[in-house]
Amino acid sequence: MPKVSRIIPILENLLFFWLGLALVLSFAGDSLNIPPILQVLGRAHPLILHFPIVLLLMAVALFWIKDEKLKEIGTWILLLGANLTGVTVLAGLLLANEDYDGDMLIWHQWLGVASLGLAVLIYFYRNKSSQFLRISTGTLAVAIILTGHFGADLTHGENFLLAPIQSQEAEFVALEDAEVFQHMVKPILEAKCIACHKEGKEKGELRLDDLAGLQKGGKNGLFVVPGDLKESLLIQRIHLPEESKEHMPPKNKAQLTDEELEILQLWVESGSSFEQKVTELKSEEPLYQLASNRFSNQKNYTFDAASDADIKDLNNFFRKVNPTFPGSPALEVAYYGTSAFDPASLKDLKSIKDQVVKLNLNRMPLESVDLGFLRDFQNLEELQMNFTGVTATQISNLEGLENLRNLALSGNNLGPDAVTVLSKLQQVKRLFLWNSGLDETAQQSLSKGLPSTHIDFGFDGKGITYALNPPKITFDKDVFQDSMEVVLSHPIRTAEIRYTWDGTEPDSISSPVYTDPLWVKKTGQIRAKAFAKDWTGSLTAYNSLFKAGIKPKSYALAFEPNVRYSAKGATSLFDGVKGKTSHGSGNWLGFTDTPLELEIYLSDGSSPKEISLSILLNEIAYLFPPEKVEIWTGSQQEWQKLPNPELVQSTKIDEVRFGVLTFPLPETAFEKVKIRISPISKLPAWHPGAGAKGWVFVDEVLLN
Amino acid sequence: MEKEILEQGLNHNRRKFLSRLSLGIGSVALGSLLIPDLLSGKEDAEDALMRALPHFAPKAKRIIYLFQNGAPSQLETFDYKPLLTKNFGQELPDSIRAGQRLTGMTAGQTSFPLVGSYFGFNQYGESRAWISSLFPHISSVVDDLLIVKSMHTEAINHDPALTFFQTGAQVGNRPSMGSWLSYGLGSENANLPAFCVLLSRGKGNGQGVYSKLWSNGFLDATHQGVQFSNSEDPVLYLSDPNGMSRDQRRKMIDQIAAMNDLNYQEFNDPSITAKVQQYEMAYRMQTAVPEITDTSKEPDSVVKLYGPDCLVPGTYAANCLLARKLSENGVRFVQLYHQGWDAHDNLPNQMIGQAKDVDQATAGLITDLKQRGLLDETLIIWGGEFGRTNYCQGKILPENYGRDHHPRAFSIFMAGGGVKSGMVYGETDDFGYNITENPVHVHDFQATVMHLMGIDHEKLIYKHLGRRYRLTDVHGKVVKDLIA
Repeated sequence: MPKVSRIIPILENLLFFWLGLALVLSFAGDSLNIPPILQVLGRAHPLILHFPIVLLLMAVALFWIKDEKLKEIGTWILLLGANLTGVTVLAGLLLANEDYDGDMLIWHQWLGVASLGLAVLIYFYRNKSSQFLRISTGTLAVAIILTGHFGADLTHGENFLLAPIQSQEAEFVALEDAEVFQHMVKPILEAKCIACHKEGKEKGELRLDDLAGLQKGGKNGLFVVPGDLKESLLIQRIHLPEESKEHMPPKNKAQLTDEELEILQLWVESGSSFEQKVTELKSEEPLYQLASNRFSNQKNYTFDAASDADIKDLNNFFRKVNPTFPGSPALEVAYYGTSAFDPASLKDLKSIKDQVVKLNLNRMPLESVDLGFLRDFQNLEELQMNFTGVTATQISNLEGLENLRNLALSGNNLGPDAVTVLSKLQQVKRLFLWNSGLDETAQQSLSKGLPSTHIDFGFDGKGITYALNPPKITFDKDVFQDSMEVVLSHPIRTAEIRYTWDGTEPDSISSPVYTDPLWVKKTGQIRAKAFAKDWTGSLTAYNSLFKAGIKPKSYALAFEPNVRYSAKGATSLFDGVKGKTSHGSGNWLGFTDTPLELEIYLSDGSSPKEISLSILLNEIAYLFPPEKVEIWTGSQQEWQKLPNPELVQSTKIDEVRFGVLTFPLPETAFEKVKIRISPISKLPAWHPGAGAKGWVFVDEVLLN
Repeated sequence: MEKEILEQGLNHNRRKFLSRLSLGIGSVALGSLLIPDLLSGKEDAEDALMRALPHFAPKAKRIIYLFQNGAPSQLETFDYKPLLTKNFGQELPDSIRAGQRLTGMTAGQTSFPLVGSYFGFNQYGESRAWISSLFPHISSVVDDLLIVKSMHTEAINHDPALTFFQTGAQVGNRPSMGSWLSYGLGSENANLPAFCVLLSRGKGNGQGVYSKLWSNGFLDATHQGVQFSNSEDPVLYLSDPNGMSRDQRRKMIDQIAAMNDLNYQEFNDPSITAKVQQYEMAYRMQTAVPEITDTSKEPDSVVKLYGPDCLVPGTYAANCLLARKLSENGVRFVQLYHQGWDAHDNLPNQMIGQAKDVDQATAGLITDLKQRGLLDETLIIWGGEFGRTNYCQGKILPENYGRDHHPRAFSIFMAGGGVKSGMVYGETDDFGYNITENPVHVHDFQATVMHLMGIDHEKLIYKHLGRRYRLTDVHGKVVKDLIA
């Protein structure tokens, strides 16, 4: 191992060697012819440069501390660092001959050489005076930092260091302001190309950081040929396989995304204009569509944002205030809850009058509200006031709102005077006036008055007639005691309801019109139909209602009902509970093989005038009216048969429905009644089950 | 040596230890500056992400999803394939089927005879889109529609397919699309749930819908879909009983909240807090809901627009009307289901009934939103969980046939809310069996819908059981071609 005392002179001497060589190369510069082996050394510049930076700065630091021991170590480090600086400078000078040029390179180069010189100077004059040492080392530190900074900018691109702070302030671009080159193409070039093709590092003699460079192209040809994908080097290179040496961006650097490839290609295809605006493209062009996705509908607002505290204060359960999109100063306001609306709360919006671009007041009762406050909302773009009861006078407040684009006034009964007021709103691009009381003449004159506005008068339903829905019959129970309230209603307010109690179809002329709730006092069927102008009459709604009859002393069935449809036996017939339309619902007694034969023993003094049976009809399920009904009255052991009543039989398959059979009983006194109901024995020929046995279903028997 | 050890020990006295410790703490504090949520404990990275929602300017503010449960046939609705009529009864070529798995319902069939639509097709509007004669009203609004003919899914049976569409996974434990949106964007109107569910059923062969489809999954219970009853009273038990004043109700809710809070202090179960919030919302809904469900103030023309059925509670038309009213009142996501599209047999008859249920009301909903100036901000989606086969299931007649499930290609449509209008997207082969152009996977559809609502589907995530979940799992690509 050689002794230290031998190495120091060598290192000291080498310093002069480096300095000399550096000066020579700096001045000779362009006229050098560098052999490949030295090019390798040149390219090692970015690798070795870190050592001298660290060593020199460390030496500076040690010199600044007043300690002889440390100064000695610092001297050592300085010597080593200065030598490495020499190597680095030389390597850099060799590298500078490869594709680098420009002001930045010159600064970097001369600052590097100066640093070397300064380091050598300090080494030899380190003992001169402490003041000299301070000034010179300070200068050296600054020179090193500046050299490094310029070098980094050369390699990574200008402003590499500060970009993360600055990019946060990058402004977003509104679709209407966007330019194809400036906002779509250039950002791609900046992100993926410019680091190597720019002032100071013109690889392939191509500069993409200024317009002239773009148009001039590089040593291999034109960067873009308008409209020609094949001749444009840009398109050629980006489509080469990634392994290819010519492929751009080079392998191992950030590659273009599919979307970026598409944008570049579409840009060249469309003539590679440097000025075209996105809005000049046709909306179906792919480039426009890509742009519309990129820039979205985020508009560039110039006004200041409202304070977060203000916005927070304005939000409550019935009012929502929020930015139109993240980071936007523009606000949209929506009111909810008609019954909770307080007109005074509109005044709160004053604090954000400059920021509100959208206001939704749909369904808020604004009839008597002074809308004059809206005059201050100069940035308002969209106003929704559907079903608010606003009038022409109130609308006139909107005249000065230059930015108002969308106005929704559907569902307000506007008079003819609205046409004049609305015609002044030339700035409005879309106007919604469905169901707003404007007749055809008014609509036409408004369309003329607002030639560049799209007006939607909506669907008025004129000329279309549908059948009304059946009215709704509301009551408490199917079987009532002395009397019961029956309410008829219809969801369409203009509908007129007519009704009958006698089983006939209600008609629009002679049947009584329903006004107030009805009171039903005896068993019967209510039938109701709805009629209205511009509609055809509804289907009939009907319900059979039964007056709870005389309670019998006892009763008994001669034959049990079918086991599947036995409900609670005979009890079910007198429990006052109606069955549902499903015959399996548990309230219906079904008979098919045997008749329903019921003996009823009356309490003393009760003398019913009629007997009613509530039955279920559903032909498709074999549920028919009975074939035969026989009735007997009697006292003690004797039975007296009444004449068999006439019955109406089904003639077609109808929907499932309830029916009532009512039969008169004799005036003379009797103690018991017997009734036998026989199901249809053979279904008629028109029925799919022709010839089979039918069924009778009964859920209630009533004596009155 | 011993002395050195002793010195070493003495050097490590308390003062030194503390001063070194303080340095250590200092470095942790510095580090924590770079990770803002490191020490706050409460907020994690997901929460920070959530605060940035929506991620960008939304094109749609609200969604009304008209789910056609049971899978309507694309071949009788929007995908016109004359070849199938021409080749009636001929075998489906193996080259077209290409090994597609079949359901148990037709896997046993020895023959797969092609069958064309019983219903004629016509072109409508400026877009000249083909629509079958089943949908006269929808045809009249065709220029507002974006028809996607190239949907495809992974599931072949109803329940998994439906669950996949709604939750992004075929197993039923994930949050529904509406729940994700409620989680991501919250409620517009604080007095109503952000996510409402309305059910109706047609006369056709039906398939069940289950509450797991509108489940909040692992998200907070407040994001669950609120199912409205299809009776006359859409929200049951909402009115106060006779004799109870609003004040009394308020007091009662306050007392219950206080008691719940005691429980929460003890157990820290977040579902208790959710319950308290639900009581509060129910209280506000007591006034908000009647305002919305009351159809009596609707003009006659609205009834004519949706069809008179819209006044019959529980019908699809009534649900469409209710959906419009909920939506315009700020409900973020209204999910309808109309059951009855599963026509394995007797398809033409079943389709007539189903189409009649939905045609007018669907078109009416679109027109209604349009005439109020709301269509631009409301996204309408109409479609089923998969398509139906181009070959017949069971007995085949030109006027009576059936179709089995087909996941490889089917049609849906969208309208409003930032999608292109008057456009048909995607194409299938002449057999209507395979997609030939622009396929849209269910995850792509979900990603696109989220995008329209201003959400980056890759960023709306929730950490659960040690992994991060999103609606689109690890898939999905926004189909930018669909966006206006």
